[in-house]
Amino acid sequence: MQRLLSDLRRVVGAPARNPRSAVVLGRLLGIAFLVCFGTGLYSHFLQEPLPWMRFPTQPTQLYQFTQGLHITAGIACFPLILGKLYAVFPELFQTPPLKGVVHLLERASIAIFVGASLVQITIGLLNTYQWYPWPFGFREVHFALSFVIIGSLAIHIGVKLPIISRYWTKNRARMAERADAADVTAADADAPASATDAADAPAFDAKAGVAASRASASGPAAHRPARGLTGRLLRWIDGTPAVAEPGVDRRGFFALIGVATAAVVGLTAGQSFAFLSPVNAFAPRAKDIGPQGVPINRTAAAAQITAEDVGPSWVLSVTNGDRMLGLTRDQLLAMPQSEVDLPISCVEGWSQLAHWKGVRIRDLAAAVGAATGAALTVTSLEKEGGYRIMQMGPEYVSDPTTLVALELNGETLDIDHGYPARIIAPGRPGVLQTKWLTSLEVS
Amino acid sequence: MRATRGILIAVGVLGLVLGAVVLLLKQDPMQIVGVGLWVLAAIVLHDGILSPLVVLVALLVRRAGRRIPFAVLVIVQVGVGLGAILSLLVVPEIYAKTLGVANPTVLPFDYGLRLALSWLVIAALTALACVAYLARIRRSRAGAALPARPASPTSGS
Repeated sequence: MQRLLSDLRRVVGAPARNPRSAVVLGRLLGIAFLVCFGTGLYSHFLQEPLPWMRFPTQPTQLYQFTQGLHITAGIACFPLILGKLYAVFPELFQTPPLKGVVHLLERASIAIFVGASLVQITIGLLNTYQWYPWPFGFREVHFALSFVIIGSLAIHIGVKLPIISRYWTKNRARMAERADAADVTAADADAPASATDAADAPAFDAKAGVAASRASASGPAAHRPARGLTGRLLRWIDGTPAVAEPGVDRRGFFALIGVATAAVVGLTAGQSFAFLSPVNAFAPRAKDIGPQGVPINRTAAAAQITAEDVGPSWVLSVTNGDRMLGLTRDQLLAMPQSEVDLPISCVEGWSQLAHWKGVRIRDLAAAVGAATGAALTVTSLEKEGGYRIMQMGPEYVSDPTTLVALELNGETLDIDHGYPARIIAPGRPGVLQTKWLTSLEVS
Repeated sequence: MRATRGILIAVGVLGLVLGAVVLLLKQDPMQIVGVGLWVLAAIVLHDGILSPLVVLVALLVRRAGRRIPFAVLVIVQVGVGLGAILSLLVVPEIYAKTLGVANPTVLPFDYGLRLALSWLVIAALTALACVAYLARIRRSRAGAALPARPASPTSGS
């Protein structure tokens, strides 16, 4: 077992599989994870606020930015995590595999970290494709795993801090690599060839490096040659030419991760960031498509809105205790109209800036005598769905850009955009921009 | 450093506990088993299939390319790697579209065609990079092969 592990470790060794690569990519991945965690929590609490929470309504495109960043950083994690795992892959075959309880816990925490991270970015990506091939709730598990990942990230940094510090800068990494090589030479003076191996690919742990290089230096002569399939496979691998130019190999690795990250971000971020829209080749969403040039998630048909529901008999009821107003669409159109430019920003990361016209919600609240600082309960005509009833905090009710929108981009609101009337508020997720309004209730 | 490490690990354990509690509160036991299976499958897919495949490809490339300049092999591997990573993200998207979409603004592109075109572009750029590299080393070899001029005997090396 021990021998198989050290053989495997030797076989999978490569110039870019070293602590410096792991630190460089780990830093970027760590930043991406923290960005995803922060923006994810923000999005979560926007949708499920704790009672005391109030959110900024300025800048109006804040959520468009944070959620676009959440999805884009998540996509960037794919090449980064693959690169990071490539750099540390030989560690999977470390010998001895377990040194004690603490070591077991450490390796278990890394297994959870790796597995949870891979699942997290995968289900996040597939969610943007609206494909759910798993037997659990996406939102709940994505939320829970975020704590697992940030927790295991903190543990991982805590455990690896000495290595991270040794390889933090290029200069320090060079010194550390030289020191490792010297350690190996001193410990293994009769096998100087191994010292150059170790310098090419410094080990994650100097002692383990010495052990591994001893094992590889003494090589097959030290133990019986492996028999059977394993033996043949190892001989075949040993017959393969070595990496001719480690420096070129390392540069190629970093070029790949850099180009791949730039490509997956550049070719998808146009769904969230307008300046990249012209090169949006692969995002699941595109700007400026759909009725009135605005994409949709839920159509009227999907929400079971009938022509009768939104016919001439439609009224918007606005209530505050006993005071109640029933407003037809014509009556709403007869009220003072405001025009605003606000984005629809979906939790799935896509967004679309649009021009809206309608009645300020604070005017409607005032019309039923709502006090300043009042909140609203907003109800949609849709028959079912988690967002049929929406709570709107006072910061949005009092904001002059929050509208009961009647027109979109200069036309009467399309039924798929919420005709006869919908909510548009600054800095909120699309699911809270309630469509097909039926009532506003001061709470 | 000792204190920092202690704090990081303590915070990390808290995070793990919080994640576990949230999971237990929000999902039923069968769903939690599902999460566990997915996490396990992710590790197995990566460590047991994807990574060995990458090792194997690197070995095969080195065996097949004994006579090819090493940098050219690296450039080709960067091209293939880029295409593979892009495909990893886009192939599920192609499949998701075949399952049907909620409305025409979801998955609006012909992703299969676009992915195929990307492979062509990557292949062309890779070939260009190889040609550029080979031209450069040929030039520098030709330069090195020229007899050194007597006026500057130390230059040109």
